[in-house]
Formats: sequence, C-alpha cells, structure tokens
Amino acid sequence: MNANLAERLAELPHLLSAHVILSMTALVCGIAVSVPLGIVAAQRPGLSAVTLNIASVIQTIPGLALLALMVPLLGGMIGFWPAFLALLLYSLLPILRNTIVGLQGIEPNLREAARGIGMTDAQRLWQVELPLALPVIVAGLRTATVWVVGAATLATPVGAASLGNYIFAGLQTRNWLSVLFGCLFAAGLAIVLDQAIRWLEVAARDRRRGLALGVGAFLVVLIGASILPRYVSLAGEAGPSNQIEASAAPGIAGETVVVGAKSYTEQYILAALMQRRLESAGARGERLDNLGSTIAFDAVRTGEIDVYVDFTGTIWATVMNRPEPVERHLMFTQMSAWLWEEHGILTLGRLGYENAYGFAMRRDRAEALGVDSLDDLAPIAGELEIGGDPEVFARAEWTATRDAYALGPMRTRSMDSTFMYTAVRDGQVDVITAYTTDGRIAAFDLAVLDDPLAVLPPYDAVILLSPQAARRPGLADALAPLIGAIDATLMREANRRVDMDGQTPAQAAAWLDGVISE
Amino acid sequence: MIDPAAPVLDIRSVGKTYPGGVEAVRNVSLALPRGQLLALTGESGCGKTTLLKLINRLEDASGGLILYEGEDVAEMDPVQLRRQIGWVMQGDGLFPHLTVQENVAIIPGLLGWSADRTRARVAEWLDMVGLPAGDYADRYPSELSGGQRQRVGFARALAGEPDLILMDEPFSALDPITRDSLQQEFRDLQARLGFSAVMVTHDMAEALIMADQIAVMQDGAILQQGTPVDLLEAPASDYVSGLLETPRRQMRAIRELGA
Repeated sequence: MNANLAERLAELPHLLSAHVILSMTALVCGIAVSVPLGIVAAQRPGLSAVTLNIASVIQTIPGLALLALMVPLLGGMIGFWPAFLALLLYSLLPILRNTIVGLQGIEPNLREAARGIGMTDAQRLWQVELPLALPVIVAGLRTATVWVVGAATLATPVGAASLGNYIFAGLQTRNWLSVLFGCLFAAGLAIVLDQAIRWLEVAARDRRRGLALGVGAFLVVLIGASILPRYVSLAGEAGPSNQIEASAAPGIAGETVVVGAKSYTEQYILAALMQRRLESAGARGERLDNLGSTIAFDAVRTGEIDVYVDFTGTIWATVMNRPEPVERHLMFTQMSAWLWEEHGILTLGRLGYENAYGFAMRRDRAEALGVDSLDDLAPIAGELEIGGDPEVFARAEWTATRDAYALGPMRTRSMDSTFMYTAVRDGQVDVITAYTTDGRIAAFDLAVLDDPLAVLPPYDAVILLSPQAARRPGLADALAPLIGAIDATLMREANRRVDMDGQTPAQAAAWLDGVISE
Repeated sequence: MIDPAAPVLDIRSVGKTYPGGVEAVRNVSLALPRGQLLALTGESGCGKTTLLKLINRLEDASGGLILYEGEDVAEMDPVQLRRQIGWVMQGDGLFPHLTVQENVAIIPGLLGWSADRTRARVAEWLDMVGLPAGDYADRYPSELSGGQRQRVGFARALAGEPDLILMDEPFSALDPITRDSLQQEFRDLQARLGFSAVMVTHDMAEALIMADQIAVMQDGAILQQGTPVDLLEAPASDYVSGLLETPRRQMRAIRELGA
C-alpha cells in the first residue's frame, strides 16, 4: 500500500468519528429546537411567517461564512462549539418548514373530528396531527441530514475536525486522493444516515417493531463506534514515542502541546516539523490544521493552540491594523513588543525565510510585454487579469499596490491558491499574487516582478507561542533550534516536494528536519 | 339521576354571534325527547351546523342556555362533554393512519376503559353496524367503500355508549342505494339501543323519512318545528312549503309511472 493511502486510512477513524459526532449532535439538537417550534408556529400564521423568514435568511448565508461568523460571535472560541452552533442553525429550516407545512396540510375535517369525539389539544397533536404529518416532517429531517453532513466538511477552517480535513488539506497539497477520501466518506455517511431515517419512518408507519429496533441498533452502534476512538486513541498514545531518550528537555516530557496550522502546504510542513521537534522532547504533539488566517491568531491568543507560524506582515496589517508597512527589522521588533504587551503572545523568533506576496507572470510573457517591474504594468493594466487567493484582494497590500502603481483597471479573479500557479502557466490569467517561497515559481519558470516603490510589506515567518505556552520554557527550548534555520531555498524545496513530487507534508518535514540537524 | 321523562336536550333562547357581528343562530329554543331523532334542515348557511356545534361546544353560544341531561353545557368541561356525546360527520372523518379497530377504540381509550373491555365492545359494535370484526378490524379506512367507512364512523360514535349522537350530514356523501340502507339500519339501531340523535341535513326527503321531529331553519332562526306529518299538513310559510315541494314532486312523478 502506498504511503499516501496508508496515511489517509490512518486518519479515517478520528476524522470519521469527529464528523459523525459533530453532525449528529447538531441534527439531534436541531430537531429538538425546530419540531417544537414548528408545532407552536403551525397554529399561529404570524409566528410561522416570521420564523420561516428568519430560518430562510440563515439558510442563504453560505455555509463557510456561517461557520466562520460563529467564531467572533463566541468570543474567538474555535473548534467544536462554533461548528456545532452553525450546523444546528443550518438544520433548522428544512425541519421547521416541513413541520409547519405538514401540520397545516392536515385536513380541517380530521382536526374537527378529533375535537368532536373529545380529544384534548395534546391528544389531538400526538395521536392525530403528528402521525399524519410525520412523512412530511421526516422528509424535512432527511433534507437536513444531507445538508448538515455535507456542511460539516466546512467545519475544518474553524478548527473542528471533520472529513473536511481531507478536502481542505488535499486541495492545498494537490493530494487528490485525500480530496476524494473526504468526498466519498462524507457522501457515504450522508446516504447511510438518510436511508436509516427512511427505514425508521417505514418502521413507524407500518409499525414494524423489529425493523425499528434494527435501525435503532445500527445508529447506536454507529454513534458508539464514533465515540470509542476518542478513548482508544488516548490510551494508545499514552506511551511516549520511542524518540524520548534522544533529548528529553525538562518541563514538557509527557505533556500535550497543540500545534496549529493554516490551510496551505507550507503551514502543514512547518506544523509537522514543530510536532517532530516537540515529540523528540518527549511531549505529545497534537495538531489543529486548516485554521483560517485570523482564526489561527485567535486560537493562539486564547490558548486553544500553543504554537503556530505566522508572518510579520500579516500580523502587522490584519491584527495590528497598521496601514503603512515599515522596514523589515523594525516591523519584527515592534510586532514582537506589541504582541507581548497586548496579548502576552511570545514571538519566539524568525525562521529565517520570507514568504511575501509577489506579483508573478510567465517569464516569456513578461519579456514579450516588456515587463520587469510593477511600474511597467500600468499602461496595459486594462488588458490584464490578475488571479489571487481569496483573501489577498481584501488586504491592504493589494489596495496599496494597486493605488501606488495605478493597477485599478486590472480585472481580479479570486481562486484557491492551489490553482493560481497552473492558471498563470496556462494563460488563464496574466498575473498572480504568488507566495515567494512557492516551489512552482521556479518549476513553471515564472518571473516575480520588482517592487521599486517598496509598497509590499515584508513577510518574515515567525513562531508564535500562546500566553500559556510562553510560560513553559521547555517548549521554547524544543523549538529554538528552528530559529534562523530555514532559508527561502530550503522552504521552497520542501514545498516543492509536496506540491510537485506528491510527498506528504510529514515526509517533507522529516527531510527538512534532517537537513537542519546536519 | 336521569329522569327518563325529561328531555335529553333542552335548548332555550340560544344565539350565536360571531366577532364582526354575523348572527349565525338567533333565539333558538328546542327540546329533544329521549330516544327521538331530531332533524335540523334548511339551506346552506341557515345556521343548522352551527347550532349542532353549540351542543357539544365545538362552538360556544353567545347567549341562552343549553341543558344536556339537565346540566348546563356551559358549566361542563368541553372535552368531557364531547366524550359523552357521539359525533358523526360528513365524509366519515375517520383517521387514515389508524385501522378500523383503532378508530373505533379511540373513545373507549379516552374514557379509560380496560383493553379487554375495549376489544370486546369494539368487536360488538362492528358486528352491530354490519362489519364483522374478523374481516374488518385490521383494515385501514382507505381499504373500505364509502358506505363501509360511514358504518365505521357510526361504530366509533356509538363506542362510548352515549345517550345522544350528533350527526352532520352523515349520509350526504353516499350513493342513493347505500344511503337508503344505512338510513334504515340507523333507525333500527336507534330503536334497539334507545339513544337520541340530532341530525343536520339539507335533504328534506331524508328528514321526512328518518326524523321524529323536524326543525326548519332560515337565517339562524327556526321557522317551524314539528313532526313530519305536522309539516306536510300545515307548513307554516311559503318557504317551508317550497322545501317540501321537492320530495312531493318526486313522489308524484314516480307514482305517475304507474308501477
């Protein structure tokens, strides 16, 4: 079996179980909220209109945005709870709507018959209205199930593990097997749960106790099996890894350290590298991958992760909200001081390489157009299209560059960063906002344009420790050897191994570790 | 104790005005002697169905007094009241998700009868309305003909052993042959069991054939009340004669065929 497949299979119990637990708890709580609400609203036309409108508005918010919005709403909390809350909201509409429609669709004749023979309101609801509306309510429940199981893959960027980890990580590292794994298992889970609910409905309608027990037992086993890996894995990992005798730094042996990563190749490699270092020091390294950019910062601020790598320019612009960049070393010093004073976050140091945004074109095309620097783009800006990752066009760097070099007429196109390098290579866009350490700049023979006005801020990679982690000297000791150890060439080569050669981030991290240790 | 000579139902100066001012029932007074069938008849919108619903408090009267077995219904718990009074509606009103047996067993269930007593009585009622329990108990309403469904409707109304049954157009959805035989069977059942009944019908012929007493309503008020013979011999107004004219003309037409 190849290494990629083995690694994906090894992740499956954890990710599948996290996905089942997340979507099932959201669904069960969604039912607990929306069915009673639907029952109350069905008898009050004003209320049913209001609740349906609110639920519809929630439904129109794209799933990813709804999930991301929950993080600031919960005061920066990441992980299970914001994902759970967003999915719960997402499940409301179909169940609520079908409960209301199902109850309102009952023949008035039958409602009157129930009253006329002397049923109380509660008896009428339980013995007549709910059984008659059940097929419609169950149809809504099935829709909600499929939606929630699907949308739960979007929980990954807010720090909740799910099958989406396969998809987000696979997309960033061009690992299509991983993407396929995520899609197949998420779809399979949705189908299985949908069918289970269908059979429960059949069992209820035809009063087949055996069938109901069978499906119920299946669901119990599924949920039980999902909860189980959490405890088994804890027990299994309790024994320290066999590297412990290598260099047991005092303080963190046997402790758990959570390493965060944003959602792209370089971050996965660096997180894996830090994890290796921490485990060599006897700690148990846990990972929280695929965090959105600001979510990663929130997570280190609140201590939900202990350590991750960010860039001076990013913190400067998006966290400190400073519009104008300053000189590289000054920025590092000011940022470190600010983080420590404002948040107690410790900047351990610079890794040594810079990963700035750089404007890149195909070399032959740049030469044909006579373009060397950003200055040369202004006269032809109206004929060019620029591709960039989803956040770049909303960042100060882009607006500053655009205004400084009169690039306003350029058309912009957002895409996942995985695709922009091939897009510019294949001529689908003319310019991209590349990351300067990306291995594909050299591989695709792209030219990075000069920035004569020095508009683009510096982007030194820095290791940030949470306030809690900053008080654990053993942790800093374990990571200190990485400071100044990774230059742009090394980083670019490590990225290239994943993006071009199909290595896993863990393999690239092992290679990088080997080079650093020499 | 119930006085057998006292009327089952005594309605005194009852009115019903809806919010907005529509007067559906105006100053109606009626008495129903025990064991009799009273037909409420008149054109659509005359208030006959509303009057029926005032009796078991599906609607509440705006004024006047309704005494059921000598008790003011306004003072009674509406749910308990409805369980004591049988209710049969147009188009049977059976619950489609329940079997025949379960539909009939609802009221005994609501009344808290034991399972054994319920099962035995349900079987008896089904036999009595001509649907042997062995053949029909486990069928669903959708598997029955219209006439069979209406029979189940009667069995359900009778299952709580009420001494009064209220019926809203119980035969109107049936074909003429089924209707005729069910009308006869209903009268036989009533003679055998001795319950009283109020039936709303827009069909004057049905009222004449089945009822002991007929009340003709117009615009919420009673125009005339009496036995079928009273009405035929001395209609109180042109309107009542007009209503009687249809069955009379049909009778003459059949007679002229000379069969």
